[in-house]
Amino acid sequence: MRLTALDEMAETLGLRRNQGVAEARAMYPVLDVVEEDRDADRRLLDGIADWCDRYTPLVALNGPGGLFLDITGCAHLFGGEKALLADLLSRLFQMGLDVRGAISSAPGLSFAASRFGEGGVIADEDMERVLAPLPVASLRLEENTIAALRKLGMKQVGDLIHAPRAPLTRRFGAQLLLRLDQALGRDEEPVSPRRPVASLSAERRLAEPVQSQEDILVLTGQIALSLKAGLEERGAGGRVFELVLFRVDGRVFRISAGASQPLRDARRIAALFNERLQAVHDDLDAGYGFEILRLNVVRHEAFEAAQEDFDGERQNQVSLAGFVDRVSARLGADCLQGFHLRESHVPERAVTAAPAIHALPSGKTSPARDVFLSRSARPLRLFARPEPVEASLAEVPDGPPESFRWRRMLHRVSRSQGPERLAMEWWIDGADARARDYFRIEDASGHRFWIYREGFYGQMPPPRWFMHGVFA
Amino acid sequence: MAQTPMARERLFALREQIARLEGSPVAAAHRDAADAEGGLKGAGLEGEGERPRLSFQVPLLDEALDGGLPLDGLSELRSPSLRDAAATGFALALAALLQNGAADRSPVLWISDRVTAMEQGLPYALGLKDIGLEPALFLHAVPRRLEDALWLAESAIESGAFLVSILEVRGNPAHFGLTESRRLSLRAKAAGRPLLLLRQAGEEEASSAAYRLLVEPAPATSRFLPDGSMLGGSIGNPVFRLTLEKSRNPAPLSLALEWNPHDRQFLLARGPDDIRLADPFATHPGARLPASSHRPDCPPAMGPVLAFDRAS
Repeated sequence: MRLTALDEMAETLGLRRNQGVAEARAMYPVLDVVEEDRDADRRLLDGIADWCDRYTPLVALNGPGGLFLDITGCAHLFGGEKALLADLLSRLFQMGLDVRGAISSAPGLSFAASRFGEGGVIADEDMERVLAPLPVASLRLEENTIAALRKLGMKQVGDLIHAPRAPLTRRFGAQLLLRLDQALGRDEEPVSPRRPVASLSAERRLAEPVQSQEDILVLTGQIALSLKAGLEERGAGGRVFELVLFRVDGRVFRISAGASQPLRDARRIAALFNERLQAVHDDLDAGYGFEILRLNVVRHEAFEAAQEDFDGERQNQVSLAGFVDRVSARLGADCLQGFHLRESHVPERAVTAAPAIHALPSGKTSPARDVFLSRSARPLRLFARPEPVEASLAEVPDGPPESFRWRRMLHRVSRSQGPERLAMEWWIDGADARARDYFRIEDASGHRFWIYREGFYGQMPPPRWFMHGVFA
Repeated sequence: MAQTPMARERLFALREQIARLEGSPVAAAHRDAADAEGGLKGAGLEGEGERPRLSFQVPLLDEALDGGLPLDGLSELRSPSLRDAAATGFALALAALLQNGAADRSPVLWISDRVTAMEQGLPYALGLKDIGLEPALFLHAVPRRLEDALWLAESAIESGAFLVSILEVRGNPAHFGLTESRRLSLRAKAAGRPLLLLRQAGEEEASSAAYRLLVEPAPATSRFLPDGSMLGGSIGNPVFRLTLEKSRNPAPLSLALEWNPHDRQFLLARGPDDIRLADPFATHPGARLPASSHRPDCPPAMGPVLAFDRAS
């Protein structure tokens, strides 16, 4: 077991990382050692990254203990780079975290300056001056490269900057100079954000945190109103929205809601979140309130403006879309489904159900694609899986049974139609799948059933009977 | 008993008020008569007394239902067991009848009960086609809890986007009592949209539905032969045995109703008297056509026959 992290006290005592625990204990017997929990560290870092979303939507994780924030175009909202950094550090310090930060135009330099240097805001002309006195470890190099450089006497980055480049590349590979160039801003280094960046977003910062659901909804409506101009400019409407709630103690809640049609109307967007908040009511702990509300448009589609007409057809479509959105927001998208027909003669494969939010039933008469359908009678309710039936005295070779027992009730067949022979689809079920003979059967009291025999008499294994549905 | 005219007047007014609360057409007729006398009938109030109704085109049933099933309220259908789909079929046949008459193409909403959906399966799209409904205009929902189902039904009615909403309930759940059904009924009335409550395998229970029908299966009609008689032993249009359990009409009513999916209409089920059984011992089964009496038909023209354009 080795030490992986130290607190300030331990550092002043002279302990080092990668030191054996036994050795450290021998030096200081009262040492308190806690086993490392990588998952918990990761969760904490994720939480902090979520919290940092308030400064910029582009937050990326960097190693086990760092974050990159791309604040291009965001700094002026907080009164400049210096004020932003001060605000961020002081807020995190208030939360009990020991944080160092640096702002520069290269991620590599910010990394080096915050971990090994003074931090702060570094102007473009100072980059080389700041980087030169830092140790070579600040360049994010591999362990053995750092050790080899140290053996050569190259302890500081400054030694590398002015050294001839060709021998260095020959000796250590391209990685070393790439890192150096990245730190000096001579080479691009993309920062990949941990969340997809919203195409549009608007937010509201509050002086007084809000707690109640009504306040959140009213504010959401206002924010949605400010999004409208942006959506109109693009000729788009949002399909998936995300409401991000920043709680005062640093926790961040993300609530997303989908719509069946591209939306711009602030009232309908707010209505989506009304249902969503009802649904997540128990999980959403308002605590001391939320200080920042942000509404993101995660996915948008072309919005086709339609003129209202007088006969109410379109109004009907709108209210149907509104209903589908509300249900999907509250009970989940899978709750409300519509049927789609497929070309298959196997009854259970001929119909598929898909969430209504993805394919809204339209008032138009013409279906997009004609599906060839079986024209023999089909039951009104089809069982999810066929139920075995004890049939007795069936006509051999392929007739209906005289009577059968289903769910412990004996039914005497009075009329029957069939058989309708359906061979299974060999390209799915394989060549040895047994064919089914379907019978439409009415019993003495007027119940109408759809039963089938799987397999044929005189073959092994013997045929079995199943109930697959009921007719009206 | 001597009654002062004042007391009688008051009694009459109270009766009328009760009738109006119940929404019975008697009250409307009274009011219309009174308005006609007074000549005070306002143009905006003309349609107030008439509620939209779905007529079955079966006089016997329509009379018992005061002209048909109300389209702005809650009606209840009950099935005695979970084994048959008669109540399902009747509810969907009603929806098909409504869809046939409606000008706009609004969808039908089916709110299913979870256990019933497991026991009996969901409505099958091809079966919907067979009963006369368009599968593309059919949405179904399987909410997890009864509260969600009630919320769904309520917001579906409020949205006004559906031709008819069908709420399926299994048995007599404690959470769905008089209060909840009253709430749904008032919502339906306010929105002017029909709601069918389909109680599967349930007992009779007090509810605020205006009408309750018990739907049981009955032997289907036979298929028609081209000459108008029926083919014995075949299964044709479905037949439902309806019993009117709750209505304003005190007379009990029970009848068998046939649903014709092709014409989308209800008919009184015909008796079995005109069924012709195919004679199993006939030498030449099938229709016997008369022999040609005059002479054989002329032989068909040989060779390719072309449809030439007319010269003039």
